[in-house]
Amino acid sequence: MSDAAGVRERTLDPLLDQAPAGLLSVADDGTITLANATLAAMLGWAPGELEGRRVDAILSVGARLFWQTHFFPLVRMHGRAEEVFLVLRAADGGEVAVLANAVRRERAGAWTSDCVLMQVKERRKFEEELLRARKEAERARAEVEEHAEELRATNEQLEEQAVEMELQQEQLREQAVELEAQADHLQALNEALQERTDEADRQRNAADEANRAKSAFLAVMSHELRTPLNAIGGYVQLLEMGIHGPVTEAQREALGRVERSQKHLLRLINDVLNLARIESGRVEYVLEAVDLAALMDEVTPMVEPQMHAKELALEVSVPAGAVARADREKVQQIVINLLSNAIKFTPAGGRVRVDAGRDGSGTVRLAVADTGIGIPAEKQASVFDPFVQVDMSRTRRSEGSGLGLAISRDLAQGMGGDLAVESTPGEGSTFTLTLPAED
Amino acid sequence: MADDVITRNNVRVSGRGTQPMLFAHGFGCDQNMWRFVAPAFEDQYRVVRFDYVGSGKSDLAAYDPQRYSTLDGYAQDVLDVVHALDLTDVVFVGHSVSSMVGVIASNREPERFARLVMIGPSPRYVNDPPYVGGFERGDIEGLLDMMEHNYIGWAGFLAPAIIKNPDRPELGAELTESFCSTDPVIARRFAEATFLSDSRDDLPRVAVPSLVLQCSDDMVAPNEVGEYVHRSTPGSTLRVMKATGHCPHMSHPEETIELMREYLQPALAA
Repeated sequence: MSDAAGVRERTLDPLLDQAPAGLLSVADDGTITLANATLAAMLGWAPGELEGRRVDAILSVGARLFWQTHFFPLVRMHGRAEEVFLVLRAADGGEVAVLANAVRRERAGAWTSDCVLMQVKERRKFEEELLRARKEAERARAEVEEHAEELRATNEQLEEQAVEMELQQEQLREQAVELEAQADHLQALNEALQERTDEADRQRNAADEANRAKSAFLAVMSHELRTPLNAIGGYVQLLEMGIHGPVTEAQREALGRVERSQKHLLRLINDVLNLARIESGRVEYVLEAVDLAALMDEVTPMVEPQMHAKELALEVSVPAGAVARADREKVQQIVINLLSNAIKFTPAGGRVRVDAGRDGSGTVRLAVADTGIGIPAEKQASVFDPFVQVDMSRTRRSEGSGLGLAISRDLAQGMGGDLAVESTPGEGSTFTLTLPAED
Repeated sequence: MADDVITRNNVRVSGRGTQPMLFAHGFGCDQNMWRFVAPAFEDQYRVVRFDYVGSGKSDLAAYDPQRYSTLDGYAQDVLDVVHALDLTDVVFVGHSVSSMVGVIASNREPERFARLVMIGPSPRYVNDPPYVGGFERGDIEGLLDMMEHNYIGWAGFLAPAIIKNPDRPELGAELTESFCSTDPVIARRFAEATFLSDSRDDLPRVAVPSLVLQCSDDMVAPNEVGEYVHRSTPGSTLRVMKATGHCPHMSHPEETIELMREYLQPALAA
């Protein structure tokens, strides 16, 4: 389209120059074929200056890209475009925002895009609103800043204090961390300790349980063994009495050996049975006033034959008034056991001495001292353990179950007392029984 | 998978020929932009048109922001279509940014392509002295700003207040559809992928003969850029068109068709 055609167009319709909106016709090749005076003025051009220029001349760079990628394809493919926002470029380089409405139509034999461009003043209104609001905000901020000076001074003081507090806090924090580390360490130790305690408890419980089971087993077994042994003893006596016919001297001697063996075995089993009973907690104590002097009077005759046999001297020194609160039979059993041991482990020609007396702390004491082989210090603690004899090689010589002392101490403890030993190897031993005194 | 791609990319096939001619639209529009050119080739070619995911009537649900943040994702769309239809010996016709998309796709699978036709190509829009792309980064921001206004901003918001159109309620929907991309976020991402891309290193590796159609007075892809593409691309032919602007297939379809035919005819004969 030539300039002449454009001029003619405008001449044909002078009203277009008076329109309040910009009018623009662009050919498909991008040439401006018509621009009214309103658009020219909007962009700072003189009327008629725009025709023949490329449309790029009045578009911002962004708008050029947008025109090519959106606006032109839209108008070309759909025949029109509505309300497209474009930023135009004025002659002085300034930007003019418009909303474009376009229709594609044939004009004087060529296709053009006829555009109506409305400057977006409404948008300005919004922008002014925004600006006013912003000024409002700025004034408010200025007011705030007046107070800000006072506040700043106060703030500085506060900040100084805050810094100091922060330092203190940091120190506290460090201390707390240290304490926490210590606490963790202690906690770990405590846990380890607790674990060990628990383990010890478990082991003790297991040991107690095993011990009870052992005792129960021994009690049953001892009973089963004692019954046939008693039968053996009974029938030996019947044979010796000649119930089944005359007995030769040789037979009588043999029967005597059977009887001794039977009795020895029976004693062993009784000991086992006693210990088992005590340990399984099935022993009953009948507590009464036990006069130790009187008790020794009863016991002494019972051991005299053995003392004589080994040519031992027995000295008894028990004052009147040594009276225990105890089970008479059990005390007697303990004393016989102690005397038997003394006799057993004291070489011929030795001496056994029994002392008794009342202690200040509500107990009475009975000590059996011998001039025997003695017990090494390291063995003294274990002499009360079941089945222990000081010198196992002597077992054959010193017959016994090895249960005597264990039973004796258990009985003493069962009555609220105890049994202890003092000994010097080669010089002798002293076993001391303590019992609650009778008031 | 094949059917998925057909639906996803809104693939349309027409024409009576056997050799495929695959048309790829540029940024800002959709396959409709080929309306004046594609029919001219239907008698000799199997014409395939499609929309990139995020454009036109593609499946927006398939849009993956990561994939389409670079031109590689768009090239994958091209290859997906090629595979879905099992196309070989393809004449690829790309407008604007799609020229570089075609370069990337054909570099990946050159055995699928016979010819590239690049309309208004630019391997890089932003100047990088001594390279001249035609734009500064700030110019691209201007475009993004304008897009923002038009997709979600003043136009849509203020239009009803300025000019009431109660008798034309379809206007809004049509306007949106006209921009060929319904989602402003997607459009912005496509714009960034396009105008901030740099495909210069891809050009020397092109193994397919190509035609560069350079418009006169194209402010989007100036002459220097077309010459740069021709210089850098082995086996390329440069034709400077009488057509002005950036969209000769829409503004000057006859010349576009004629130059394409001239270029492709020997290939057909061979």
